[in-house]
Order: sequence, then structure tokens, then C-alpha cells
Amino acid sequence: MRLHESGVREIAAGIRAKKFSALEVFEDCLARTTACEGKISALITTAADEGRQQARRIDERLAGGENPGPLAGVPVMLKDNICTRGVRTTAGSRILGDWAPPYDATVWALLREAGAVLLGKTNMDEFAMGNTCGTSAFGPTANPWDVTRVPGGSSGGSAAAVAAGYVPFALGSDTGGSIRQPASYCGICGLKPTYGMVSRYGLIAYGSSLDQIGPFTRNVEDLALVMRILARQDSKDSTSTCGTRGECFSELRGDIKGKRVALVRDFRDFTLDPGIAEAMKRTIAALESAGAEMVEVSLPTVGRYAVACYYAIAASEAHTNLARFDGVRYGYTVSSSAGLKDMFQEVRSHGFGAEVKSRIIAGTCLTEPVRSEQYYVAATRVRSLIAKEFAEAFENADCILQPVTPSLAPEIGEVDDDAMKGYESDLYTLPINMAGLPGYSFFTGGYDAESGLPVGLQLVGPRWSDGELLNTGLALEKILGAPVIAKAGI
Amino acid sequence: MSEKELIFTPVIGIEIHIQLRTKSKIFCTCSADYTNDEPNTHICPVCMGLPGSLPVLNRAVVEQGMIAGLALNCSIVSPTLFFRKSYYYPDLPKGFQITQSDLPIAASGWLDIKDDAGAPKRIRINRLHLEEDVGKLHHSASDGRLEGAETSWVDYNRSGLPLAEIVSEPDISSAREAVEYVTMLRRRVRYVGASDVDLEKGMMRFDANVSMKCSDGRWGRKVEVKNMNSFRALERAIDFEIKRQIKVLKDGGEVLQETRHWNDAREVTRASRVKEFYRKFIVEPDLPPMIVAPDEVERARATLPEMPDRKAARYARELGLTEVDAAVLTDSPDVANYFEACVARGANPVRAGNWTRTEVLRVMGERRIDATELPVKPEALAELIRLIDDGKLSTTLAKSVFDSMLEGLSIEEAMKKGGVAEGGVGEGALAKLVAGTLAANPDVVDEIKAGKDVKGKKIKFLQGLIMRETKGQARPDEVTAAIEAALNSK
Amino acid sequence: MKLDRDEVRAIALEGRLSLTDAELEGAVRYINNFLDMVDRFKELDLKDVEPFAFAESVECPLREDVVDVFPDREEILAARSDGTESLFRVPRIMEE
Repeated sequence: MRLHESGVREIAAGIRAKKFSALEVFEDCLARTTACEGKISALITTAADEGRQQARRIDERLAGGENPGPLAGVPVMLKDNICTRGVRTTAGSRILGDWAPPYDATVWALLREAGAVLLGKTNMDEFAMGNTCGTSAFGPTANPWDVTRVPGGSSGGSAAAVAAGYVPFALGSDTGGSIRQPASYCGICGLKPTYGMVSRYGLIAYGSSLDQIGPFTRNVEDLALVMRILARQDSKDSTSTCGTRGECFSELRGDIKGKRVALVRDFRDFTLDPGIAEAMKRTIAALESAGAEMVEVSLPTVGRYAVACYYAIAASEAHTNLARFDGVRYGYTVSSSAGLKDMFQEVRSHGFGAEVKSRIIAGTCLTEPVRSEQYYVAATRVRSLIAKEFAEAFENADCILQPVTPSLAPEIGEVDDDAMKGYESDLYTLPINMAGLPGYSFFTGGYDAESGLPVGLQLVGPRWSDGELLNTGLALEKILGAPVIAKAGI
Repeated sequence: MSEKELIFTPVIGIEIHIQLRTKSKIFCTCSADYTNDEPNTHICPVCMGLPGSLPVLNRAVVEQGMIAGLALNCSIVSPTLFFRKSYYYPDLPKGFQITQSDLPIAASGWLDIKDDAGAPKRIRINRLHLEEDVGKLHHSASDGRLEGAETSWVDYNRSGLPLAEIVSEPDISSAREAVEYVTMLRRRVRYVGASDVDLEKGMMRFDANVSMKCSDGRWGRKVEVKNMNSFRALERAIDFEIKRQIKVLKDGGEVLQETRHWNDAREVTRASRVKEFYRKFIVEPDLPPMIVAPDEVERARATLPEMPDRKAARYARELGLTEVDAAVLTDSPDVANYFEACVARGANPVRAGNWTRTEVLRVMGERRIDATELPVKPEALAELIRLIDDGKLSTTLAKSVFDSMLEGLSIEEAMKKGGVAEGGVGEGALAKLVAGTLAANPDVVDEIKAGKDVKGKKIKFLQGLIMRETKGQARPDEVTAAIEAALNSK
Repeated sequence: MKLDRDEVRAIALEGRLSLTDAELEGAVRYINNFLDMVDRFKELDLKDVEPFAFAESVECPLREDVVDVFPDREEILAARSDGTESLFRVPRIMEE
């Protein structure tokens, strides 16, 4: 097996045992990346020089008898909304120009300290607004399983990179499904942790009360290993409430005997692609064979109001998060000889893409004093109902099994004229962010009979049940099989 | 009713921004003291609003806000929230200001002042809320001229300094009342150590809402007057605005609801040419609710000093000081403490007040120290005053003894240095001195004897000579008596 | 249609966005569809429902009042589009 095909734990163990060097791993992953990028375009920036230096340093430290950490020499790619000091960070937008942050996001600081090596920054929908990678100012990314199709979004670059075997793991961010949906489209594992589990410091914000960083891997135990490093209380993020809860990732047993796994009654009548419906059946059978008990829960408010509620809150928060981009302090700018208002308008009108502008307009509109109570404040009240509904559902269930999307990865450029229809397809992912819950997106071991695309599903649990979700994930992976690398035609 | 009989009553509310006294900024660890520093030296990702940065609240800001609120008779509110107040301006790095707005830490306070007729009047305080300051704009042409400047410059050192905004109810009826209110408020918040309220450093800024009630039932609209940075400016601006609005109403016109800027040089208010910023609010998703525990409030309340205005009233009532002297002595707590310690050691309060008001404040000003750093401790001053009261030391000589004590001498050493023997000048010695002085000034003696000293100036002259000879240790009344005795016996 | 072209143009300008005619066309359609979607809230009785602010009852953490200077000020200044010495330059702002 080529080095780039190995998982996180294998690579880390191999480097530690000096079976191969960090530099060898890095060069092999870089070679794989270079070979595939022409077709996939998963990256915005390749950090070849920086990464090579880091890998050499790891090898030196190992040679010197040091322990460079649990991820020593493991290459990683980060979604390009995660700040990396000195390495261009764009959030998929033109408006940041060539901005290189003067500081590291907490997650990158943690990974680097654990020995991980940065290989590149991945493509994404602009400011994480989108579910195809198609709103990126740097062009689309292709799905490694079928390069005519989207990898999903917004963390599509990270998902495609892991699926194509560029790196054994990558980080994305999930505001309304942006980790789970691309993980599903690309046939790999992705975790959207409980809100507060992973520090958001250094994550370029979209919807601050919804955003959460999480990893992509090609097996669930690698996911747990990465989470053991990321799940830390961070004094730089006032919404970090992890405490010592990172311990939940310490040991996955894969034992789910007696676990109550719920299906959502209100989702029963929604249409699913045949491949996804079939995967649901297979997964239920696998759960039952492992000793889980299938139950039902009801989420009526979620079913009818979650999409509207999500987009109202996300747009309201987003338009304030994006107000800072005015061309004065950093990023894209225009000559400031014009008036101030002209300058701001010109910078923002040219710097932002269409989807981002639409959502800024929506957020501005919904929070105007005359409309705020009716829309923005009402949405925060509906959100309370949604959170409450989930809490009640979890009184009778340990977790929920549900689709990630109603259909499989669409073709690139296949856009719906009505944006709201596209938004509706996020129904299965975004309620989880509204309630701050963990969601684990996994490969079901099956491929769609017609398209050949991998099929994923998700497990959703109560707050802080991330470890239990992965435990159930391990039981399923043992039965259904782990993800494999998409060959991407090379 | 004829025009002349119309009565106009001003209705005035005041908004005051004070910079709370802390070492670091409100949401980051940059220094809050930027007075003498070069522009943009106290900046970091947080106060520059860099993408991905997050605010972390400074404990001292909460404590100082609470203490200031208590000093203004407010109730402390908990829990409270922060909001994002959105508007676009280059001195506002995030495109929104983080502010508690109308969910403040302190509410429903008051200060008791006197109205223009001298009767007691209560000014209600709506709230005190915490927020961050914005950067500073400088306007200049490339050659440094202000007029016709083509460029503005931004310095973000001030961005993120902790502010408390204190909003009064519209209970104020004149410029004089306004000044009394802000004076009392300023002394109180400085007294409790919540702010240095240095007007020259911009630590206290005023906005006033001025409207007019007319006896014919008409109400003028509310005009917001901005840009007053001194008590004088506040007084003049309100006076100007009252006169302007009365004139408009008398002429049958209408007062427009608008924002006007005080032009300090021209002493006029001018309607703002810029349309008032459009401001909207959403909950700040990066800061969870702020809780102040009831026992923390009680602890703070228990440590509050006696308020300066109350203290001054007590000095006048119990110690027989004039209101003016009492106000000077209570202006800062270190001086008041010094004075009180002096009185506690048995010094005559009026004399102790005079010494503190003149000598102590003079030395403090010259040496830029506070009263606690004065080399002459209040106990020593009390002893010095007792010597004066007991007739053992003249005021003049006491001052020179005081000056020696300032150089670090004890009272005994200082007296010895000044050649003062304790116990004054013996009778025999005084008679000798008088005889000698009269002999040396025969022309003066003759004039007195000729009855030309109607105003007693010549006697005073002789007395002065003798006092100088005794280095002030003789009692002036005894010296006069001795001169008169000697003249009569000749 | 809840909002017409002029209203949408004004809202966009509040967000410091000036739209081309084609963009405006799309934005009008988008925002009206968006408002149709969020108008569903009217079906619910939300009178007694508290607004959701945070995922659980967490308290705002407080940091100690300690100065810790950011070491890389130069990197922040280096990202300026326009400025001299240590100031950030913006177009002239009319005061008053």
C-alpha cells in the first residue's frame, strides 16, 4: 500500500517506529495531490514548502529521541476559513485578497503541537455559504468518485482531499451541514461536534452560534484520535464549554447492545433517492444485528420550520460577521481617493460573490428595526422550540439515524433557479446546528446502483454524546465496512 | 394668550461615556493606556476585528461597571447580554460595536442635585451599560492642514477600550443643572475608582438630548447635541440649544428631530450633514450571558466609600466648613482621607481644612503626587496645627516648618532647623527685641508718636520686623502689646 | 411581492452593496422568496417562547485584567492597503 493510502494512526505509528519518515509521507501525499489536482481542484493554496519544513523538523526531533506528539508527521489539510499564520487564508472569497493571518486558529495550533504537518488549504463555498463548493471565488471542486459531480459543501475541498487520498485527515467547518454533507457525498467519515466542543478561535465566522469545526477521516477511529486533540477548553473562545469532555473520545468499544436508535416519524414521508432509502434499510439491519433497538421519535417543528429558522439566523449573524470587510485594514481594496461610502461599496460589491451578497441582503433585511421582531427575534424563538423538541426526543432515544441529504451529489453547474429549493435539501443537517448537537456522517459501505456514488447517512445525538455517536459508528463500520480511497481516474 | 406670556421649559437628558479604569481593553489583552503612545501600537487580532478573532470579557470591566453603577444608586442587573450594534464606519473595525445597550449591568439609579432655585431635585438615571470604544479618526491633508483635507487616518489604539454609557432620564431643566449633575457624577465615579474621568484625555464625553415644552401645550421634538468634551462646552451647548429652540417655537416654527454638533470654536450647534447612522441590533453570539452573583454585588456595596457629595454635606454640617471648602476637600478620596485623618488626630477642622486645601494641594500639584504620597503625614500636620492653636507657632513660621518637613524632617527637627525653640519667646527676650527695634527706627517711632499712624500701618511694620527677628516664633498679639507698652513708657 | 426593486436596492446599500441591474433582479426574487419562507413563523404562537441565545445555560467566562501585548503588530500593519507610518488611511470623512 502506498503511504498516502494509509490512515492517521498507521502513519503516526509508522513514523514513530521509523518504518518511514515524515518527509517520505509528506512527499507521497504531495505527489498524490499534484497528480489529482488537475481533475479535483480541492485546494486553494498548497503549503508545500512550509509543510516540507515541518516534516523535516519532525524527523529531526524523532532522530533526537524526542516525542513530537500523537500526530507526528501526519499530513493535514485545513478548510480555507481556518486561520494559519503566514499562510494565505481566503475563506473562498476574493475579498480577503492575499491576506495571511498574523495568528493561528486554536485548532491549527493544537494539531501542529501534536505533530501534524500542513499540506494545504482547501476549497470551500465562499464564507461557507453553499453546499456544492460552487460559490467559491476560486472555482468548483470535483467529486473524486465522479469528477462531473460536486463534492458537496461548504467543506467540499477537505472532503474531496480525504476521499481522493491526498491526506489521511482534514478539517472542515459545519454551520448547517458543511462537514456532514460533503463527507456523505464523498463517502468518508465526518463529525460535526457538539457546539462548544471545539474552539472557534481563528475560524472565519459565518453563523457564529451555529459554526463548529470538525474532522474528516477514512475511518471512525482516526476521527476519534483527531478529536482527542481538538476537543479542548479554549480561553480565547467564550463559547468553548468543552471542559474535560474530550475524554469521551478515548475509547471506542463498538458495543451498542441495548442502545435505542430512533427514526424520525416526521421525515418518513419525505422523498429519498433510492440509493439512500436502500442504505437506510441496510443500516437499520446492521444496527439491529449489533443489538440496538430501533425506536421512533417525533420532530414536527423541525420538519416544518427548521429550514426557515436556520436561514433567518444564519443570515442575521452572517451579515454582521461580514461587515468588517471594508478594505481599510486588510484584504481586497480599491483606491481610496473616492468617498468613504463609495469605497466601502466598491470593495464589497466586487469582493463578495452573488450568494454572499444575497445573504447579506437577507440578514440586513431581517434585522432592520421594523422587521427584527417579526423575523430575527421570531427565528430565535423558533430555535428554542427546535432545541426543546430535540431534548425531548432524546429522553426516549440515545441517538437518531437519518439521511444527510435526500439525494446524492448533483452534477457541477446543475443549479436550481430557486435558491430556496436548494436550501430545503439541507433539512436533515441544519436542525442539528440549531440545537448545538453532534452529528456523525458516515459511509454506509454501499454505492448507488445507478450512479456508483458512495452513500452516507448520519447519526445525531444529544449534546456531548459525540463519543457515543462514534462508538455506534464503530459498530456500524465493523459491519458495513470503512471508506476506501476514490481512485479519481489515476 | 399673547406671545410674551409663553413659558418654555427645557427637557434635557444626558448620555455620558466614561472610560472605565482597567489595565487592559474590554475584550482583549492590549493595554488600555495609550495616552503617549504612537498610533496603532496597542492592537491585536481582537481589537482590530481580524477575521476569526473572538472577544473575551475582562473581569475588571464588569467590576468597575458594577461599582460605578452602585455609586450612582443603580440596581445591578443579572443576567445581562451583549449585542452587536451594526453600522459602517472606518473607526469601527468589526462593522459593529459590542454593547449591552438596553440590557445593562446597572439600572434605575439617581443623583440628587439642586435646581436653579436651590431646592433639592432628583435626576433619575435610566441605566449604565458596558460597551467597547471605537478607534480615533484624524483628518488632515498631506501637508497636515485640516481644512480641505483629502484623507482621514485611523488609529485603533482606542478601539476596544472599556466604556460605561450612563443615560439619564430627561429630568434636567437647565444648563446649570446639567453641569451640576455631570460634576457630581464625575466625582462619584472617580471617588469609587471606577474611572479616572480625565476630560482632557477624553475619558468622559457628553451627548445631550434637548427638547422644549411650551406652556401653550406644544412640544418641540428631541434634538441630540453631540461633540461636547468639557463641562464648559456642555453648558454652552445646552444654553445655545435652549435659546435656539425657544426662538424657533416663538417664531411659530417647528423644532426638527435631528442630530446637531457643537462647534466649540464658534460656540454654535449645527445640524449634522451626515445622515444619522442606521443602527440595528442582534445578540452577540460570541458572548454568553453575563452573570453577576448577588454576593459579589453585596461585597462591592459594602466596600463603597462615603460619596463625595454626602461627605461634603457632612463636613459643612458637622465640621463647620464652608460648602466651597468642603467641595474642594472631598474632590478626591485621598485628599478627603488625609483631611479626616488630620481631624481625627485632634486638629481644628477649619484650620486643618485650610492647610489641606492650600498647602497639601499645592505640594500635590507641584510634585504630581497624591495625598497618600505626601511626606508630611496627616498626624504630623495635626501636631503642627495644634502648636499654632496653642500659640506656640505663628502661621508664617509653621509654613516654613511644614516646608522642612516636606524634605523629610520630623517636626522636632524642622523646628530646630528653623531656629524655633518650643514654647515661643520669653517675655524678657521680647522686651529686649522691642527696645532694640524701636531704637533702630527712630523716624517711625516719631511718626507714631506724632499721631500719624491712623491706620496702624507703622505699628504693623515694626511688628513685622520683630516677627522676622523671632523667625515667627513670637505671637503677633504679644508683640503688638509689647510695642505699645514700650511706646507708652517712652 | 413584499419588497420592490427600490426597497431591495436601499437594503443592499445599507449593507454597503451596490448591485448591477441584473444582480438587483436576482436579489429581489431572492429576498421575496426568503421572506415567503420565513413568513411560516406566523403560524406559530411564540408569545411565551424565550429567544434562544445559547445552546445551554453557560455563563460568560471572564478573563483577568492582565496586559499581554500582541507580538506581531507589524504583521497587522503589513496587511494595510493604504497607510503611512503607523496609520490606516481612508478617504476623507466630512465631520459635523
